[in-house]
Amino acid sequence: MTEQTRVKKKSFLVISGPGMNLLGTRKTSIYGKGSLEDIHRGLQARAEELGVEVECRQFNSEGAIIDSLQSAPGRFDGVIINAGALAHYSYALRSAIGSMLLPCVEVFISNVHAREEFRHTSVIAPVCVGVIAGFGKKSYLLALDALANLGGA
Amino acid sequence: MKHYAVVHGPNLNLLGKREVGIYGGRTMESINADVEAEAKRLGVSVEFYQSNGEGELVTFIQQCRGRADGILLNAGAYTHYSVALRDGIGAAAVPTVEVHISNIYKREAFRHVSMIAPVCLGQICGFGAYSYILGLRALIEERLDPWLA
Repeated sequence: MTEQTRVKKKSFLVISGPGMNLLGTRKTSIYGKGSLEDIHRGLQARAEELGVEVECRQFNSEGAIIDSLQSAPGRFDGVIINAGALAHYSYALRSAIGSMLLPCVEVFISNVHAREEFRHTSVIAPVCVGVIAGFGKKSYLLALDALANLGGA
Repeated sequence: MKHYAVVHGPNLNLLGKREVGIYGGRTMESINADVEAEAKRLGVSVEFYQSNGEGELVTFIQQCRGRADGILLNAGAYTHYSVALRDGIGAAAVPTVEVHISNIYKREAFRHVSMIAPVCLGQICGFGAYSYILGLRALIEERLDPWLA
């Protein structure tokens, strides 16, 4: 086996949930003006700096996110998820994350703790490695840093 | 040069020496050294403060006003019940990022609530010592993020 095949780049799956396709067009005072495509471009650039790969997907459908998570093991080394509103009540998502046995980082664009009370609880946080919330679209970039560094410092 | 205060709350002086299963084997001093190195890389200065006392933490945070461009705060257990700390952060009006070494949402229910989160820019938890590095990046690059316009 050559050195190159052994040090295959780490690959991470980035999932954005319902409504994230409309980023930049709705509630810009909360979510900012940039689009989801801007986030994906930012992630690709950061991935290149870090020497890893990212694949970015968006789904409005809860079931489609679960399908995507179920097929992640073996193809990806970790997952970044912005589950949007599903974070606060989807036990199905929680089970899917818990059973895939890949490190998962939960991100939010807004500071969910400064918003309505129903957003203060995340049912998926306990099955994630950690949570990053409140830093705008940069939350995604920090999550990628975090995943790439797992097992490091 | 931008200047940031890194604040450690109660019992964090014992990092690396207690409950290493939860908090890891890193000492506070070694985490500070990492933060210092990252600050240097990013071209900012940092200072460090640790206190076990709630009042001392409130006083320090008040005094950051006009002196620091941001605060990286691991308030430890005070996170979950100190209204005084929350008011101190609000009064200081210095952008503050809340960090935790452990994923507080995997732990006891009383740790799932943060009194200070609503007055912070955001929260980072679960990444061990690296939570602090991410927190510093969040603080510094926050102002540079064109998406946040």
